[in-house]
Amino acid sequence: MPSIAGLDPAVNLYQAKPHSLLRISLISGGWGVRRNLNQMGLHVGDEVSIIHKAPFGGPLVIESRGNRVAIGQQLAQKIGVEVVK
Amino acid sequence: MRIALVGQPNSGKSTFFNAVAGYRSLTSNFAGTTVEYTRGRARVNGDVFELVDMPGLYSLTSTSPAEACTREFLLEHDWDVLIHIVDASQLARSLTLTLELLDLEAPLLLCLNMMDEATRKGMTIDSAALSNELGVPVVEAIAARGQGIVETFRAAIKMHRQAPSTPPRPFLYAPEIENAVQELAEVVRPGGSQRAAGAPESRISPGRGVAVISPPIAGAQRLARFFNPRFEALQLLQGDPIQLALRDPVAAQATENIAAQITQRLNHPPDVALSSARHAACLNLFERVVRVTKPKADWREQVDRLLMHPLWGYVFLAAIFVGFFRLVFDVGKLGEGRILALFEQLIAILGQAMDPQGAWFALAQGALLGTAGAVAIVLPYLLPFLIGLSILEDVGYLARVGYLMDAVMHRLGLHGTATIPVLLGYGCSVPAVMATRILPSRRDRFVAALLAVLVPCSARMTVIFALVGFYLGAYWALAIYVLNLGVVALAGNVLAKIWPEIAPGMLMEVPPYRRPSPRVVLLKTWWRLREFVVIAIPLLVVGSAVLGLVEFFGWQNAINAALSPLTALLGLPAAVGLTLIFGVLRKELSLLMLMQALGTTQVNSVMSAAQIVIFTLFVTFYLPCLATLASMVRELGRKLTVAAASALLVMAVAISLAARGVLHLFL
Repeated sequence: MPSIAGLDPAVNLYQAKPHSLLRISLISGGWGVRRNLNQMGLHVGDEVSIIHKAPFGGPLVIESRGNRVAIGQQLAQKIGVEVVK
Repeated sequence: MRIALVGQPNSGKSTFFNAVAGYRSLTSNFAGTTVEYTRGRARVNGDVFELVDMPGLYSLTSTSPAEACTREFLLEHDWDVLIHIVDASQLARSLTLTLELLDLEAPLLLCLNMMDEATRKGMTIDSAALSNELGVPVVEAIAARGQGIVETFRAAIKMHRQAPSTPPRPFLYAPEIENAVQELAEVVRPGGSQRAAGAPESRISPGRGVAVISPPIAGAQRLARFFNPRFEALQLLQGDPIQLALRDPVAAQATENIAAQITQRLNHPPDVALSSARHAACLNLFERVVRVTKPKADWREQVDRLLMHPLWGYVFLAAIFVGFFRLVFDVGKLGEGRILALFEQLIAILGQAMDPQGAWFALAQGALLGTAGAVAIVLPYLLPFLIGLSILEDVGYLARVGYLMDAVMHRLGLHGTATIPVLLGYGCSVPAVMATRILPSRRDRFVAALLAVLVPCSARMTVIFALVGFYLGAYWALAIYVLNLGVVALAGNVLAKIWPEIAPGMLMEVPPYRRPSPRVVLLKTWWRLREFVVIAIPLLVVGSAVLGLVEFFGWQNAINAALSPLTALLGLPAAVGLTLIFGVLRKELSLLMLMQALGTTQVNSVMSAAQIVIFTLFVTFYLPCLATLASMVRELGRKLTVAAASALLVMAVAISLAARGVLHLFL
């Protein structure tokens, strides 16, 4: 489990390239944001990839261990990721 | 015996409920929220028990109204066995809730539903090993095909019979967390160190839907069996610190101290530390009990590539909804004609049996017309509509609609999920308002409901087409629709400014496509229809009967006179006053009554083109019909309904006045 401090996220999830394998390195935002993401099974250290991206600043669909979640732009921007491959 | 069903959304809980308690079930409403749990009597193999189905929840620390409702039920009501139903194909994520439920230290049964889905994903689950690891019985099921349902309930009944069995072991965190939890548990324990005599008790009474679980002293309703200091401490550490500080400063101070210790030792705030620990434990558990092979090639992947495509996705969306509305409209029209003819015969028979000049006939005819309005005009559209909606929902398409429309809805201050109620508004406002229940916050439900009743429903469509379309031409009718879209956009924007959205944006599970079970679709339709039948039909019948009497006693002149300031302001003939009252009962009635009130079917002989447009605009915007208002009260509460209705009325007057000012340039 990497610590939150000391990781410099290269990009946020919204800017990341679709279909590449990413690792969540940081979840910024308050208690509510963390809790909502954790409940959806998304934690720091999890590997995810972007499957679909809606046009006009719409949401992303990401996959993590067979679990598909749609995330709005604002929320995706609060998630720091690093590219695994 | 009472068995409670709990599980994440989309885990198929309701399928279990409906399989054994589909009919004779009751709904109970929690005050202040629109969320409800469902209770029913069930019988399995001769054993009768009470079954409770609760809204889905992801975690016990949740705060959305639906989830808070479930949590309150779990802690404040008595139950004997809890069945946690999980989507087996999402096992790793679902088990995190199981670990939280273990902390209740009460009889728990784990049911792995959707085993076929798990198999398709290449998962082989060793249930016996999982049962061993968790220390609770594990049952497998494919509820959509009826497999494993009876077995699940039998296992739960068996658990109850063997009582008093030892409660399951709670999930233990790392020692540094457990020590901190223990320390906090000492504080919150009734009579604990910080709660010595004279210590201030919480001054703020526990409210519903508040973020944290009531600490033991504030939460007087808490059942004694759930008075578990360790559980309380865990909830406090994971709750919203701001809410806690507001509710109970003493507990908040103690929690803050211990939270600071945890944060210092583990580098994470306690909510992250605990959630991550559960997450890691579940991944570990998953590794030990599940063997994963390559999943089968899935055609659904290809379908999503089309239906969620940045271009084709929208083409299919438009095609699917046009097709859906077409179908609803065609089926509805077929039904409407036949059922209306039946009612006309009934009224004719009534006219022979009673004195057609008497007050009783006026009353009976009014009541019959009201029933006809509900049964012949609303039901034929509502029924196919609700069936179609349930199918779209169960297949999994509605989640895709939310995804596609999120960007557009954001301009209106809503999320993609709110598309559904707003689109439904074009068919009938009643199910549209009911559909706002899928939205997480009260604010979102209010905004979506207001926009949904603002778009012209099919009844208002008939008024627009029969008046403006017929007398002024199709382009004028279209112009009203365009104007309406503009008003919807404006209203959404204004509302977003007055009452900004709080949630940071969409976060929604995208379920795999599933074949809907006909039984579940029909039951869901019936549940939604029942609300219409129970709420709207009595109102329509009574309202129409009263209006029948108004006509009989010739009170329409008094009513028209009372409404004359409004009609004069809008530049309309005074005779249309009563039709506006009728319009609140049923929108299309204002059209029929208009012809009656004016004494001619040639409306253009007594009203100018501009008056026709103004009248139609006013009828389109002014107030939703009685059935819609009733469902708004149910979903939003009385206060917000009154606010919405007043806003609509003001808006209708403003739009009609503006039209009056502008129209003479064109007509």
